[in-house]
Amino acid sequence: MPDLEHNPYNPIPMHIMQAYYESNDYSLKSFELSFDNREDCDEFFKKFNPGQFCQLSIFGKGEAPFGIASAAWEGEFIRFTVQKLGTFTQQIHQLKAGDPIGMRGPLGNGFPIGNWKGKNLVIIGGGCAFSTLYALTKHIQHPQNRSDFAEMIVVYGTRTSGLCMYKNDIQSWCQREDMQIHQAIDIPEEGWSHHVGYVPDVVKEVAPSPKNAVAVVCGPPIMTKFTLPILVELGFKPETIFTSLEKRMKCGIGKCGRCNIGSKYICKDGPVFSLAELQALPDDI
Amino acid sequence: MMHILNKKKLNQILTGWSTKYDIYAPQKVEDYSQFLPLGTADELALNEPHNTRFPPKSFFLPQSETLLKYDHRLKQLKEVVITPKPRIIFGIRPCDAYAVKLLDTVFDTAEYTDPYWKAKRNATLLIGMGCNDPCQTCFCTTVGHGPFNHDGLDALLTECQDNYFIETFTEKGNKLFSDLPAATKDQQRQVQEMQKKAAKSMQPAFDTTNLKQNLNQSFDSKYWAAISESCLGCGICTFLCPTCFCFDIVDEVQRNERIRNWDTCMFRIYSLEASGHNPRPTRKERTRQRIMHKYSYWIDHAGEIGCTGCGRCIRNCPVGLDIRAMLRAVNTFESETVNA
Repeated sequence: MPDLEHNPYNPIPMHIMQAYYESNDYSLKSFELSFDNREDCDEFFKKFNPGQFCQLSIFGKGEAPFGIASAAWEGEFIRFTVQKLGTFTQQIHQLKAGDPIGMRGPLGNGFPIGNWKGKNLVIIGGGCAFSTLYALTKHIQHPQNRSDFAEMIVVYGTRTSGLCMYKNDIQSWCQREDMQIHQAIDIPEEGWSHHVGYVPDVVKEVAPSPKNAVAVVCGPPIMTKFTLPILVELGFKPETIFTSLEKRMKCGIGKCGRCNIGSKYICKDGPVFSLAELQALPDDI
Repeated sequence: MMHILNKKKLNQILTGWSTKYDIYAPQKVEDYSQFLPLGTADELALNEPHNTRFPPKSFFLPQSETLLKYDHRLKQLKEVVITPKPRIIFGIRPCDAYAVKLLDTVFDTAEYTDPYWKAKRNATLLIGMGCNDPCQTCFCTTVGHGPFNHDGLDALLTECQDNYFIETFTEKGNKLFSDLPAATKDQQRQVQEMQKKAAKSMQPAFDTTNLKQNLNQSFDSKYWAAISESCLGCGICTFLCPTCFCFDIVDEVQRNERIRNWDTCMFRIYSLEASGHNPRPTRKERTRQRIMHKYSYWIDHAGEIGCTGCGRCIRNCPVGLDIRAMLRAVNTFESETVNA
């Protein structure tokens, strides 16, 4: 008899609490999920760390990994922002409040925030990959956590203003005195008072100081590829630059074999890697 | 202690086991042998020139396996009951037994244990048959094993004239043979000499001394494009490999089941992402992944090469690609790297 109590392939039963669109093109939708069982909830938050991901599962439709877009202090729910792209994400987009959904997680390592205490944080995101950085920023903003870190600078770029996620929160961040936020769009728009340009260029313009700082970069591969060298140019050491990777994965626990880069599995050893770690791996991304 | 069993008495001993165990052993199917449920000893095909066509990994990781069941409303989970009957895999070759042991390092880790693998593994005994005449495509000695290695086995049989000589390595294995008489010192010496002779008859197929290092250095080399040119991408090398374990998880809608199926890094769709990006878009990257995984990444994961030298990928490749030749070429391809 397999031990189904601890079967890592067995999804936890959850329900959709809330579902709402994030972008004006209806491609990005956030889902807030609540736990059906008390023990599952306790177990989850015991392990949860910003930067981790979960496998969301609809029986009969399949399973796919998504980054967690909420902080633990927000409540006993988990938020995911899902981009409608393939067949499974189309199915997820059809879910509404009250619908059941399966979840396996939290999976992966998450951001090593324990090592970042007392440091300045430079958080750089692009597009829908900002979701786990949103979780990180929210986590740090909590009064109990904020004093653990020094200055915080957030750079967030999207193609258009309509694609910007978490709009209300981000607007309120502009008023906060304990952080700087630099929003950017790729193409100029009427009434836009923030940066215009690609994220790497905005980072160059903002020129965050590498002194006592760590940088976290999440975005489409092309953005990451051009942002990392700029951070290096600014004087950030490879050990202080972090990024989160994605690859096609199935099991999420290092068994099914498909998400490896060299001898590292993104699901188990990542998804968060420092640039120093990535430089030691073959170019198989 | 080494036991002795007259060949004529094999049937008797197998029949004795069959009251408690399901027995699987190699039997002739068309022009090859295959592990099948055993009836009597005369169905055995223990002296085939080649190992079984299919590796015995499917006893533990079936080609298709149900993980979960849900009801028709796509809601409740139903328990998948695996009740593996105690079973004996009889006549497994040392390379294949070692492959199962290697796969334990994937499926039975401290972090996550795969319950489906573990249940079947716990219920199974591996009784090996050493190889008196290793065939042309075998290279177990090159990758650090041998035709009479017993790692991963509960017991090992050595065929010598009219007898089988049996060494046991676990308590369970010992119990199966404990009623048999002991071999004499002379016989033991004769068996050991035979075992050594068989190992000696195998020429080193390639040099493993700097192989991992050479592979890592060759990552961006033109070499991969050159060797993958004739590859069809059919994936038979991975499907028949005793240590390949990659799988896909899909929902079988008509059966209301979530299943896992063997998958292969040799297919384009294996690594294709929803965005359209594919980190391994051509056979060059995919061949590189297969070889690097076996001879470099496995060493990082388990401290050992992830190939046991069974030679199935060589015998069954439709275009005659030979992994031994590929690895010899890696060792000599050093300097000609290009910046990708």
